[in-house]
Amino acid sequence: MYALTVENLSVAYDKKIVLENANVTVPTGRLVAIIGPNGAGKSTFLKAILNQLPNKVGKIEILGKLFDPKSLVVGYVPQRNAVDWDFPTNALDIVLMGRYGHTGLFKRPSKQDKQLAMEALESVGMQEFAERSIGQLSGGQQQRVFLARALAQNATIYFLDEPFAGVDAATEKTIIDILKSLKAQGKSIFVVHHDLQTVKEYFDYTILLNKTILASGVTEDVFTPQQLQKTYGGKLFMMQETLGANNIC
Amino acid sequence: MFYKVLTTGMVMKRILGVFMLMMLLVGCSAEKSATDKKEGVVVATTGHIADVVKEIAGDHLSVSALMGPGVDPHLYKATQSDLSTLENAEVIFYNGLNLEAQMLDVFEQMAQEKTVLAVGDQLDKGKLLDDEEEEGELYDPHIWFNIDLWKQVVATVAETLVKEYPEHKDEFNANETAFLKKLDELQTYATERINEIPTKQRILVTAHDAFNYFGESQGFEVRGLQGLSTEAEYGVKDVQEMVDFLVDNKIKAIFVESSVSDKAMQAVIEGAKQKGHDVTIGGELFSDAMGAEGTEEGTYIGMYQHNIDTIVDALK
Amino acid sequence: MLSGNLLWVMLGTMLLGTAAGITGTFSFLQKQSLVGDAAAHAALPGIAIAFLLTGQKDLPILIVGAAITSALSVYCIQWIVAFSKIKADAAIGLVLTVFFGIGVVFLTVVNHSPLGNQSGLNDFIFGKAATMTKVDLAWLFISATIIIIVSLLFYKEWKLLIFDPVYARGIGLPVEALKAILTVLIVLTIVTGIQSVGVILMSALLIIPAVSARLWTIKLSSMLILSAAIGGISGMLGTFISSMRTGLSTGPIIVLVASSIFFISYLISPAGRLNKYLRKIQFRKQGEVG
Repeated sequence: MYALTVENLSVAYDKKIVLENANVTVPTGRLVAIIGPNGAGKSTFLKAILNQLPNKVGKIEILGKLFDPKSLVVGYVPQRNAVDWDFPTNALDIVLMGRYGHTGLFKRPSKQDKQLAMEALESVGMQEFAERSIGQLSGGQQQRVFLARALAQNATIYFLDEPFAGVDAATEKTIIDILKSLKAQGKSIFVVHHDLQTVKEYFDYTILLNKTILASGVTEDVFTPQQLQKTYGGKLFMMQETLGANNIC
Repeated sequence: MFYKVLTTGMVMKRILGVFMLMMLLVGCSAEKSATDKKEGVVVATTGHIADVVKEIAGDHLSVSALMGPGVDPHLYKATQSDLSTLENAEVIFYNGLNLEAQMLDVFEQMAQEKTVLAVGDQLDKGKLLDDEEEEGELYDPHIWFNIDLWKQVVATVAETLVKEYPEHKDEFNANETAFLKKLDELQTYATERINEIPTKQRILVTAHDAFNYFGESQGFEVRGLQGLSTEAEYGVKDVQEMVDFLVDNKIKAIFVESSVSDKAMQAVIEGAKQKGHDVTIGGELFSDAMGAEGTEEGTYIGMYQHNIDTIVDALK
Repeated sequence: MLSGNLLWVMLGTMLLGTAAGITGTFSFLQKQSLVGDAAAHAALPGIAIAFLLTGQKDLPILIVGAAITSALSVYCIQWIVAFSKIKADAAIGLVLTVFFGIGVVFLTVVNHSPLGNQSGLNDFIFGKAATMTKVDLAWLFISATIIIIVSLLFYKEWKLLIFDPVYARGIGLPVEALKAILTVLIVLTIVTGIQSVGVILMSALLIIPAVSARLWTIKLSSMLILSAAIGGISGMLGTFISSMRTGLSTGPIIVLVASSIFFISYLISPAGRLNKYLRKIQFRKQGEVG
């Protein structure tokens, strides 16, 4: 079974084609990087997978089935600036939201739900901040809370949108360690990633995306100068140093 | 899909459509006004005044009232079609004394081109009742409830009409005399009927202070919830004071008005009931407006009689 | 002193304030407070049209009319934003003025008709709390109860969908249905409230208690309770004050009380001006010592 199957996916906004004929199959248990230049359609790709876009064309299967949100199989960690952190609540409460799918409509979260939420907070190193108002959290702390929420949900496959953007080194380490441990548990993780320097170090599988999927596969095979040239086009000259430092040839 | 078909253009068209609907409504009401000038067109604001003109002029003049049955003159704002109607009139009569409070500019404008007469303003100020809150500055405009004052209004209207249409002088004067006689009979009728009510029960409670002249001339204590104008603000304390008044004076019945909402009166009745005193609604009185055209209550005399009968039957 | 009429009006406005405090909080967190303003103004044409069509001035009929145009205005705003280049603030302004304008036009037609002024429709513009009867009180009690119960039922779902609608959809929450229910509650608050405070001031009750409560607390549950309390107190106190003199209209005074509470909150709450000033002074002192 594949973690993700995408067939002929196309998405258009306001008569502009954002994604055209994207195809990819990814086996389970991988830690996958989705990379591409700004405006390539990476976030759109994620949203399409998560069935948030009604006007898409093509077929998407997650773990062999069409996406069913109620199955709670997919854990989504959005970009930090996707929400307003001025909301009146604390960190534990946000993580508890990951349990709402399990708790059900009209019911209060159970003791067990709260326990699992607390454990998720602990795993990201935020247990002291449980009662802290989310408006007072730093960028890295916010990101960790979002990850904890997805962990509390107990998903099988995770999609993260630029989780390392603007976070401190300690947070980055915490997050990638968790992702790796999830992978060790057999879960599949997809990360829209912006930092080419860390791709080889973190991810064993890579998808190159720019308006369509240009290449996908094991990182070593796919993360090459030629493929990067195709994906990033004229922006490559800025990447030279990066490639040199990584010594891929 | 739906959203693909809808564009900015169609949204704008929809908004345009709404505006056109509004224009249509305004335009439709404008069609009602006559566009050809006729001989002898007189326009009055209230039904009472229009009735006087009709009594005097008979069929010789075309008379209309701007404010029909159930319309509140204190709040009335002239529409475009009203302005056309006034434009086409040769003579305009209005009550004055600030009754048609929202239309004063219009009358000023019209006065430059034609004969415009405020019948209330012509009366001897000594005979008028004050606005309790603004003594000497504002007067109570509900003069039509004092039959003597109204007879003077009849005289003034007749005088003006004779001046404007001297060819009908004799008939107008004859009609005037006949009408004045009927008004005397009306007063006799009123006095007779009111005697059926024991003196202590001659208390008239209504929605707003429209009946002060009635009370003064016919011997009633009069009390309204709102002030002289239906524009006047009233609050919880006014309602409470009214309730206390009803309970203290053991009043049997209170009256609603045809041109004013009766919600306040309902609240007052419930309040009195809660204090253990049952008050009923004695009936609907014509205060600032008269009844439907063509009916008995659509004439001044019919309206006054209806009020008398309603009041007496409820309070005696 | 606290006799029949005054007591009913105080109870009624307290219930209204409580309901407005609750729904207003959710509205505020969605950053859609002004949509409530548009929806309140949009109730006017519905009332006038309901009267013109049926000739009945019974409250239930007018309320149904008000609810229809009020809800319609909310969706009009959403459609305009979704399907045109017009942004939310312009869309709200557009819908508010157009609906209210249509309402005034129809109201004029009503006022020129024989049964018009008797209908008392004009009272819906600024409200007439003084004429509240036991029946009105019953309506307010029912709607306040519905609002409280539904808010308790959907509390956690609304919390999530307001904070992060994308994640909410991702775990299968029926986001559109939940939003619709919230809209229904807001419309319910509006149509039961406009009799007392009028369409123009209704939005004040939806906004001020919520904003004031936000200054005092960082927890949603506390914010809701505080907002409800501020709304309820404004209603009761406003009514009481308006009953002290004749000729004082209740609605505006309720709004004035609510505004005073906001102003006080702005000054002395934890997040308020005074505390900010004191902290600045403390900061400076520490700087001088060190």
